[in-house]
Amino acid sequence: MRQKSLRNIILFLILSVAAGVPQASAHAIIVQSVPARDAVVAGPVIEVSLSYNVRIDATRSRLSLSDPTGAESRIAIATDSAPEKLTATLTDLAAGSYILHWQVLASDGHITRGDIPFTVAP
Amino acid sequence: MELFLDIFGFLAVLLAGFGRAAQCFYLGAVLFLLVLVRPLAGQLGADGQAIAALARRTGILALATLLAILLISLSSHVVILAGTTDGSYLHAMGGSYAVAQLARFGAGGLALAMLLSGAATRTTAGFRLLILCAAVDLLAGMATSHAAARLENQAVLYLATGLHHLGAAIWIGGLPAFLCSLNLLPRGSALAAVAQRYSAMSMAGVGGILVSGVLMLVFYVGSSEAMYGTAYGMMLGTKIALFLSLLLLGLGNALAVRQLAGDVFAALPRLKRFVEVEIGIGISILLVAASITSLPPAIDLVDGRATAAEILERLEPRWPALVSPDKDNLAFYEELRQQSSDDGIGAKHLQAYVPGAGIPLPRNAEDIAWSEYNHHISGIFVLLIGLLALVEKTGRAPWARHWPLLFVGMAGFLFLRSEAEGWPFGALSLSESLRDPEYVQHKMFMVLMCAFALFEWSVRAGMLTRRWASYVFPLLSAVGGTMLLTHSHSIANVKELLLLEMSHLPIAVLGIWAAWARWLELRLDGTIQRVGGWAWPVLVALVGTILLLYREI
Repeated sequence: MRQKSLRNIILFLILSVAAGVPQASAHAIIVQSVPARDAVVAGPVIEVSLSYNVRIDATRSRLSLSDPTGAESRIAIATDSAPEKLTATLTDLAAGSYILHWQVLASDGHITRGDIPFTVAP
Repeated sequence: MELFLDIFGFLAVLLAGFGRAAQCFYLGAVLFLLVLVRPLAGQLGADGQAIAALARRTGILALATLLAILLISLSSHVVILAGTTDGSYLHAMGGSYAVAQLARFGAGGLALAMLLSGAATRTTAGFRLLILCAAVDLLAGMATSHAAARLENQAVLYLATGLHHLGAAIWIGGLPAFLCSLNLLPRGSALAAVAQRYSAMSMAGVGGILVSGVLMLVFYVGSSEAMYGTAYGMMLGTKIALFLSLLLLGLGNALAVRQLAGDVFAALPRLKRFVEVEIGIGISILLVAASITSLPPAIDLVDGRATAAEILERLEPRWPALVSPDKDNLAFYEELRQQSSDDGIGAKHLQAYVPGAGIPLPRNAEDIAWSEYNHHISGIFVLLIGLLALVEKTGRAPWARHWPLLFVGMAGFLFLRSEAEGWPFGALSLSESLRDPEYVQHKMFMVLMCAFALFEWSVRAGMLTRRWASYVFPLLSAVGGTMLLTHSHSIANVKELLLLEMSHLPIAVLGIWAAWARWLELRLDGTIQRVGGWAWPVLVALVGTILLLYREI
């Protein structure tokens, strides 16, 4: 019986670990974004600036853009930003709906990500 | 890889929790040697060497666990970071977090080698090197805390974090070595000297925790609105409630230590049992602390906080309806019908949970009523369990001892009712259902519930007479309560989920307290046994009452 109870505990712990997925949990959170979420902006060049509540490691973070066709492309992140900012320049944007995908590494090791949908006005 | 990143989010919480506990016990063992064993070496004689050996063993166990966790968390971090940023592993290893974890791993490896070889306790130079390795772990650990990422007041927050970890290591981390010493030493002056010294150390540890805790409260929370209106604040409140119960036990221990010089036969068993409970609640607190570390500080969450009015409105007692809505009216099935009429395919497009989506499923009024009904019926089960345990306690109703079987009934009810869209009674197949982490967690809770219910019933029915069998119920209850605190949806900060989770936190705390009250009833004699024996059924009945009054709207 002891072995059975031990197996139950171990199985429970393993499955609890394996099954858990956080919902909308975020350590680094955006305090300001340009473009703003669901904003309608003028193209074809857009300066992106994402400000977070914590210091982030920009060289180990990622920005990408999904265009109106759904194709996703990587965006180069500027390396001379403030410690809590991710900045980049988007060029040649035609009118339509886009999604900016971000993933940041906070200085305390937490990796978080999110999306910012926006529209480029015709 | 993105799905793995999401899963890693919660995995990291548990890893961080067990890592914090392992670090605490490792540093605690080293500090026990430094502040207690070595200064008392002359007075303790051969007993001192035996205590040192015990502290060394607890240190080895904790450090080996810590190194395993560091290895898993560091390698997972590097693989995920490199995989999601298309960078190299070497580049991922260059981040400040990875470097700090690597430093901890290196220093910990050296310390483990010295502890295993005995060099750390045999020579002064070896012991100094062990202290240095422990200091590296403490400092590098601070570099992976919230303080490392703050934009302001970083120096104060580093200091507060270090003091907090140090205080916890002195007090909670030293407990296993202290308990081993209490079990080893013969009753006499050496025992009293060790107990008095550890009592003084604990008080210093508590002082450090309190001072640093207040500092962190000011800089990470900052206002009462942030305290009650955010997930961070609510989890912190839970941690404080558990900490206060630990303080109460600590106070009991301080009194017991004073009595050791006189009525040692009465004081020593109480001291040992309280220390056992302190270790258990201490581990729960460290897991809650890790859960808090995964959240953004409350002070940063300005939008989406729950207001006092919203919380009070939700807490207002209302008699449960005890009427279940029809399953076909739940949002999932409505959407299923909608999709079926749109494209004729339906179920193949709809999932109970979209991995990585990071948003709660859409819910309608029927979903809320469905969930409330589940909680209310569960509340009736739990309330009955508490009341029957109280009736059994009177000694006038032997039939009441079968109350554990109600847990099996409750697990069966939840198996039929929870996750209405999932297998076996919902529209989704088993493999589709398993994509929802809450589905798996809830089903595992049911297995856990059946396991400890059957154990406890076998004990009370006289089928299991071995003493250890009676410990399964309180220990698994404490595990269940702690797991509820680190349950995945408790770490979200969506306001509706926050209000929904609000009642789960006191349930978890009451569950942990009930578990340890039962432990004291089993492990002690006299007044505390009686108090524990009456307290835990009352706490269980309180859990039932909270469930019965549970509201989502």
